[in-house]
Formats: sequence, structure tokens, C-alpha cells
Amino acid sequence: MAGSLKEQLRKIELTPYLVLGLTLIILLVFIVYPLSRVVFNSFLESGDVPAIKNLTLANFSQFSRSTLYRSALLNSLTVGLLCVLFSCLLGIPMAYFVAKTEVPFKTAFITLGTLPLILPPFVGAYSWILLFGRQGVVNYFLSELFGFVLPDIYGAPGVIIAMSMSYYPFVFLLTYGALLSADPCIEESAEIMGASRLRVIRTVTLPLVIPSIAASALIVFMRAVGNFGVPALLGGNFYVLPTLIYFQVTGFFNLNTAGAIALVNVAMVGIAIILSQYVMARRSYVTITGTTQAARISSNRILKWVGTAFCLGVIFFSLLPHMTVIFTSFTEGWAGTRYPTKFSLENYRRIFQFCGTPIKNSLFLATTATLVAAVVGTLLSYISVRKRFRGRWILDLTVMLPFILPGIVVGVAILIGFSSGLIILSGTWMIMVIGFFIRRMPYIFRSTAASLSQIDVAVEEASTIAGATWATTFLKITLPLMAPGILAGAIISFSTLMGELSTTIILYSARWKTITVAIIEFLFSATIGPAYALGTILILMVLSAIALANRLLGRKMSQMFKMV
Amino acid sequence: MAVPLKKSDNITLSIRNLSKIFKGRDEKVVALDEVSLDVREGELFTLLGPSGCGKTTTLRCIAGFEKPTSGKIHFLGRDYTAIPPFRRNIGMVFQSYALFPHLSIYENVAYGLKTRKLPHREIEEKVDSILRMVGLEATRHRKSSELSGGQQQRIALARALVYNPQLLLLDEPLSNLDAKLRVYMREEIRRIQKQARVTTIYVTHDQEEALSISDRIAVMHAGRASQVGTPDEIYEDPNSIRVAAFIGQANFLECRVIKQARESLVLTFPSAEKITLKGISNRLWDFPHPEGVLFVRPNHMEIFPRPGKANTLRGKVKFILYLGSVVRHFIEVFQGRAPQEVLVDTDRRIKGVYEGEEVALGFHADDIRLFPPDQKDQLQKE
Ligand SMILES: Nc1ncnc2c1ncn2[C@@H]1O[C@H](COP(=O)(O)OP(=O)(O)OP(=O)(O)O)[C@@H](O)[C@H]1O
Ligand SMILES: [Mg+2]
Repeated sequence: MAGSLKEQLRKIELTPYLVLGLTLIILLVFIVYPLSRVVFNSFLESGDVPAIKNLTLANFSQFSRSTLYRSALLNSLTVGLLCVLFSCLLGIPMAYFVAKTEVPFKTAFITLGTLPLILPPFVGAYSWILLFGRQGVVNYFLSELFGFVLPDIYGAPGVIIAMSMSYYPFVFLLTYGALLSADPCIEESAEIMGASRLRVIRTVTLPLVIPSIAASALIVFMRAVGNFGVPALLGGNFYVLPTLIYFQVTGFFNLNTAGAIALVNVAMVGIAIILSQYVMARRSYVTITGTTQAARISSNRILKWVGTAFCLGVIFFSLLPHMTVIFTSFTEGWAGTRYPTKFSLENYRRIFQFCGTPIKNSLFLATTATLVAAVVGTLLSYISVRKRFRGRWILDLTVMLPFILPGIVVGVAILIGFSSGLIILSGTWMIMVIGFFIRRMPYIFRSTAASLSQIDVAVEEASTIAGATWATTFLKITLPLMAPGILAGAIISFSTLMGELSTTIILYSARWKTITVAIIEFLFSATIGPAYALGTILILMVLSAIALANRLLGRKMSQMFKMV
Repeated sequence: MAVPLKKSDNITLSIRNLSKIFKGRDEKVVALDEVSLDVREGELFTLLGPSGCGKTTTLRCIAGFEKPTSGKIHFLGRDYTAIPPFRRNIGMVFQSYALFPHLSIYENVAYGLKTRKLPHREIEEKVDSILRMVGLEATRHRKSSELSGGQQQRIALARALVYNPQLLLLDEPLSNLDAKLRVYMREEIRRIQKQARVTTIYVTHDQEEALSISDRIAVMHAGRASQVGTPDEIYEDPNSIRVAAFIGQANFLECRVIKQARESLVLTFPSAEKITLKGISNRLWDFPHPEGVLFVRPNHMEIFPRPGKANTLRGKVKFILYLGSVVRHFIEVFQGRAPQEVLVDTDRRIKGVYEGEEVALGFHADDIRLFPPDQKDQLQKE
């Protein structure tokens, strides 16, 4: 009997169970465990031992007691909603013009319209102050020529402008995609029935793209309420939840209160998700068929010129901060004087003297986290797509959770999870890699799942029946066929990790400062030149990673970001 | 309980009471319902049946990609269900061919040899010889996407055969090809299969393909094997209305059966016509029901100009199709409420039989079968 059991065991392939089981354990340890700890700890007063009897709502009661907390909550909400509004006001018309009118330079508009997604928002944010702030360049000229100055943008207006300019591409790209794929016959038939152009847009075109707009609005809202860098730089006394969390962590090292604020932040995102699902579900009658028929294009000349001007304007202003960063990095003492007085490489000399380590750290952390995310994310998407089992949605949701959660919340979760208890990693590079890896794994998960579902299962079965074990089939057949998806996800993961701040700011330690931390420290101390030199290097690294991906994959950048 | 096999049968694959139930979210699909089949060594055995009858599921259970809900599969006396698919030494050709898109033709074909860790030289020799056998030695360095459908099909066959599998499984291998190529390729497959002498299970829903290519056929319906037999057995001697109707053309006429002494049978039809059959076989004589459905193939019917001949049925020629080797007559008979159409195939035109004319129809006792009346409902289907 024992012999036959051994026999039985030999007949089952153990490798897939081992590999896939290990992957699931990683998921449990690095996502489920820390997130549960946040939830649990936020009901504990700091210093209390984790026990059921110590559970309390004290951390949350701050929101009813403290005006600071209440205003931060309100501010976050305001920022989120206004960013959605402005992103829509910029993104929807731009999508319409590029998809439906004869504006020139469409490819360039799409590429440049994607750029703000790749460039870290906080790097450019400070430029708004340099340009339009009270002491800003624009005000010099305005007061000189016309004798008036712009209203101060420091605080709420700056935060909202900077974020909207960074996040409008979500709305632009998703709406553009929907407009392209909407069946032109529907519009044509409406027109034949005698509807005017505006009426067609209002009654036919718009409802067709509403689900996409809702989806992009949700992403913008999630990003806006989760962003730490921009309000930290431009907010001043205008606090939002992420900045509040930051002060709890770095100021008081009160992780439990930070956890409670994080939960409130997450609740906001959760409500937004439910609302957007509601909008999308109600509009589910839309038929977006994959017709190859080209979208119908309006040949109206006025529309064409208005559209061109609009697109150029949006692109100019959205990239202005980053152009300012690059330009300023080559000047000395500018911003603060009317003209740049001197061009030099002094800033670069300084950062290469002092900032070699942060650059190396960033490269090391981003690469390591991307590799881990690539391996684990690929295996997880394999499990999700190929092993059809009940409760698969739980797996998908768990993997995607860190994508939905604000970066700073993930940071707090990892810090709470791994600064006490069984595994203690605080202050090491590992804790940063964990945070990075779980935040970026969704990108790889999505893009590999997409390429995996394109692969005919029969191709893998053909390998199996030809005598290959699971491992051989996976390595020789599945993996090479998934490679483009893995690579696309990895590049997006790497390039966005280079500019990652919200999670970093919670998890970094003196030994493991990253480029982004160095930049924000410079900016906090108003050392613009070196900050912008570093920013320029960051922008260049990110852009070359993306350019490399385009070369290797023959895909457009905007397509790679479709899944975001 | 494995059924002991007689050596003389040369049975390699034996399937016993194979059932497969797919459990969906809220419903169960019985894909296979107690299927039992025996496949003999070296034969080309076809699973034939309409879409959804469970052919692919049977094949996937044999390959090991589906775990049977119950039942046994034995190969050369060994329990197959305990062996993982990659150790079963099976060659398989998929409906979509499933060539490895990132590998060259050579690498595709060599794949199964590499997993078997054969020496490099031997791999090269085997690949070359199998590519020669399928007539594609010139394409070895190309990618699979650069080949035509027919070529991909042959590469898939070569890839499945190159490592001398004990069993070859083909799932509708010709369904992606155009009609002309299909006829050519099925002859190719038959030739290559006989040359390789490999026991083969071939899945198709095309009855003509099945008849022409197979040594034996299992006709499947709704997860069951309705009949197993050689092509001529299936065609000439179907065991149910369903099989008779699924394979080729068939005429069905309801009738009453009256037995007479000395092995003769009188059939009376709703039109009150009467046909007496003499010298009938035991099987017809043993037909136990007082009424039944008469089955006769169109090429076994006789047609006479002018009605009224003894032992015939009256009909009216609606139209005649001249198909070259066959002349097909569409004849209206009045049996019961609505007029019914009967097909009669002859090998040449018959004098006096023209469109619009009345004719007499007859048949021989040897060529007819009677089916029990409870199979009548099978007539409506298909
Ligand atoms: N993975 C599955 N899950 C659920 N039901 C399935 C699955 N595979 C097959 N079925 C069902 O089992 C039945 C038999 O399917 P099968 O694929 O064996 O049919 P088939 O005879 O090969 O048909 P076709 O000629 O269309 O290929 C069908 O009703 C099918 O819907
Ligand atoms: Mg099938």
C-alpha cells in the first residue's frame, strides 16, 4: 500500500503545485497580511498590544474632534472632484478633436498627450510656482507690463492645477479609444433621422463614451486623492489625507493613527469605485463593436482650427512644468530673477558630487522590484487565466488591490506589517522592494494576463502531449509567447518606479534614499537647481526606458498605457 | 473493473463506461454518458457525430486533458487514467493545429524528440524523414505563420507522428481547410496513417469524410455511442433512425407490419397500399412490433414509369436532378396527412419517368430495415 502511494505521488507532477503554491504564499505574506494589519491596527491606540479587547475607535474619532482632520478630509475630496472635473474638461474635447476632426499631428498629439502619465507629477509641480507663483516669472512680466499680478496659486489652486495637468491624459486616452471604436453607423443613422450635429454628439456620441469617461474619471480621482508629492510641495497649509498620513508617520511615528487615516482615504476610493460601477452598469446598453470601419471624421474647418489650438494649448501647458525643469536645470540662480542670468552645468556637477547614491539606489530598487513583480506577476496571471477555479476573482482582486490603494496607504501597510511582528524589515532596502513590488505587480499581472489570454490553450496542450512536463511547457512555450506582455508590463513598472514617491516617502531610510526623495528634499529646502538637475536625469531615464520598450515591442506608448 | 481483453482482438485502447460531467455555475452538462469503445491495433477509428455530442471530450479524456467523472480507459491493458498526459506517448493534431508560433517548422517537429532527449543526430534524421513523408522538407526553416492552411495541417501531423506515438488523436483536423483540399488531405492522412501503422482516433462531424477515411466508426449522439461499426455496416445497416438519418440520404416510411407464414411480411401504408415481402431474413421476421418505420436508401429504391404495379407505392415526380454518376428523383408520396418526399437514386435516366408524371416505387426485402415506432421522434431532428 505504501508503495502504491509513492507510485501515485510520482505520477502527479509536483512542480506546478510547488511553484504556484509558493506564489500564492507570497501573495498572502506581502499583500493580504500587511493590509489586514493596517485594518486591525487602525482600531488600536498606539502602544496598545494587539488584542481584541483593546480595539477602539479612538483613531477615527480625530475626524470628529480635530478641525485639521476634518478639513484634510474635505480638501482631499475637493481636490479629487475638481481634478476629475478639469481632467474631463481638458481630456474629453481633446479626445473628440483628435478622434473626430481633421486636426493635424494626431500621432504627435497622442504621444505627447501620454507623456504626463510617465513623468512623475511632483517633479514638475514646483514649476507652477516658479512660473505662476507670487514671485513667478509670469508675474514679473505682468506687473511690469500691465501693472497687475495673478492671484496666488500656492495652496489649493496649485495642487488642483498641477494634478489635473498630470492626470488629464487618462480621460483623453480612454475617451479617444472609445470614440475610435464606437460604431460610426450608429451616428450616421442618427444623422439620417434628422438630428443636428450637436444633437448627435449629445444624444449618441456622448452616451457611447460615457463608460470610458467614467472609468477614466475613477482613475483620476483615485490618483488625485492618493497623491502625496504635489500637495506636499504646493499645498502649504492646505492639508490633504496623504500629507496628514505623512506627518503621523514621520512626525510622530504614530502608525496606528496613520492607518486609520489611510482607511478613510481608502474608503473614499471605495465609494468612488462603487459610484463609477453604478454609472457604467446603468449605461451597459452601449454597443461598442470592434468594427474595422474608420470613425467618421468631421471636415468642418472651424472645428479643425479650434481643435488644433485647443490640443496645442493643453499639451503645451501640461508639459510646461517638465520643460521648465529641464530648462532651469541648466541655469544658475534662475527663478527668482527675471531672466536666467547664467547657463551652466553647475547643478549637474553638484548632484554628481552628492547624489550618486540616490541614483544608484533608485536604479537598484526599481530593477529589483520590477524583476520580483515580473516573476510573481507572471505566475499569478498564469494561475488566474489558466487554472480556472472557483473564487478566482479573489485572486484577481488581491493582486489588483495595491493598484487601487493610494501609494501612501500601501506604504503605511507595509510599514505596519513589517516593522513589528514576525518579520521585521524596517529600515532595509527589502521593505522598499516589497512596497514597490506589490504596487507595480498589477501592471505586470494585467499585461501578462492579456497576452496569455491571446495564447491558444491548445498550443500548451500540444507541448504536453509531445511529452513535455509542466515546467518545460511553461519555460519553452508559454513564457516566450508571453514575453512581449511581460516586457511591456516590466518597462512601465520600472519607469514609474523610478519616479515613485508616495510609497517611498513612508518606507525609505537614510541609507536608502532614492532620487525622488533627494528631489523632494531639495525642493523642501528651495534648492531648485540641483532638484531640477536630478529631475531632468529622472525624466531622461524614464523616457529612454519607454523608448526602448517601443523599439523592442514595436508598440506605441499610448497603447502600452491603455491598461493603466 | 477492467474487462479482460482477448489477445485475438488486438484491442489496444479500451474505454469502459466513460462519463464526463462538466459542472457549470448553476447547471451540469453531461458531455459523456457511459461511453464504451474498443479500438483495435493500427486501425483508423472515427468518432462521428453532430456538434456538441462529446467527440472532443472523449478525445481529451484519452489524452488526459480532462479527468473522466467515472469510467476507465485502458491502453494495452494499462490503466491510462493514472498516467499524466505527458507520459502517455500520444500524438495529437488539434483543430487549430496549435503549432508553436515562435518556433520554426523544424523546431516544431523536433519538439517531441527533444523532450524525449534523443541525440541530436537522430533528431535531425527523424525530422527530415517525417518532413519528407508529408512532402514539406523545403519549409523546415520557416515560421509556422508563413505556411498555408494545408501545409500547417501536415506539419501538425508530422509533429504528432515524429516520435512514433502509440496512439494518434486527430480532432477535426480538416475543418479549417477548403472543400477541395479537405478531400485531398483526408486521402493523405489515410496514406500517412497506414504508412506509420499507428492506431488512430479521428474526430469529425462530416459523415462523408468519416465513411471514406475510417476502418471503423463510432456514431455518437448526446454523449453516447449510438453505433460502432465499419463504414458499410453503418451505412447499410444502421441500428437506429438517428444513425440512418445522420449518415447519407435516407427514406423513412411509416407502416403497419403483418406477419404471414413462411417468412413473409405484409406492410401496409397509410395510403392503404400494401407490399408483400417474401423470403425475408430472420431479422425482419423477428421484428416484434405491429407497426414501424421502414428505412431504405435512395439507391436501393426502384422506380417504374406508370403506377399501379403490384407491390409498389404510388408517387409523383416533382423534379429530377442529373448529377452525372447519379440521377436523383424527388418523388412525392401521399402517406398520411401531408405529402412526403422520397428520394430515389438511379445510375441512369429511366425511360418514361419525367417530372410531373406518376410513377411506382419498389424495393427489395434485403435492402430495407424496420425501426420500432418509438424511434419516430428521432425523425424530426436534424
Ligand atoms: N470545459 C467545458 N466546460 C463545460 N462544458 C463543456 C466543456 N467542454 C465541453 N463542454 C460541453 O460538453 C458537451 C460536449 O462537448 P464536446 O466539445 O465534446 O463536443 P464535440 O462533439 O467535440 O462538438 P463539436 O463538433 O462542436 O466540436 C457540449 O455540450 C459542451 O458544451
Ligand atoms: Mg469538438
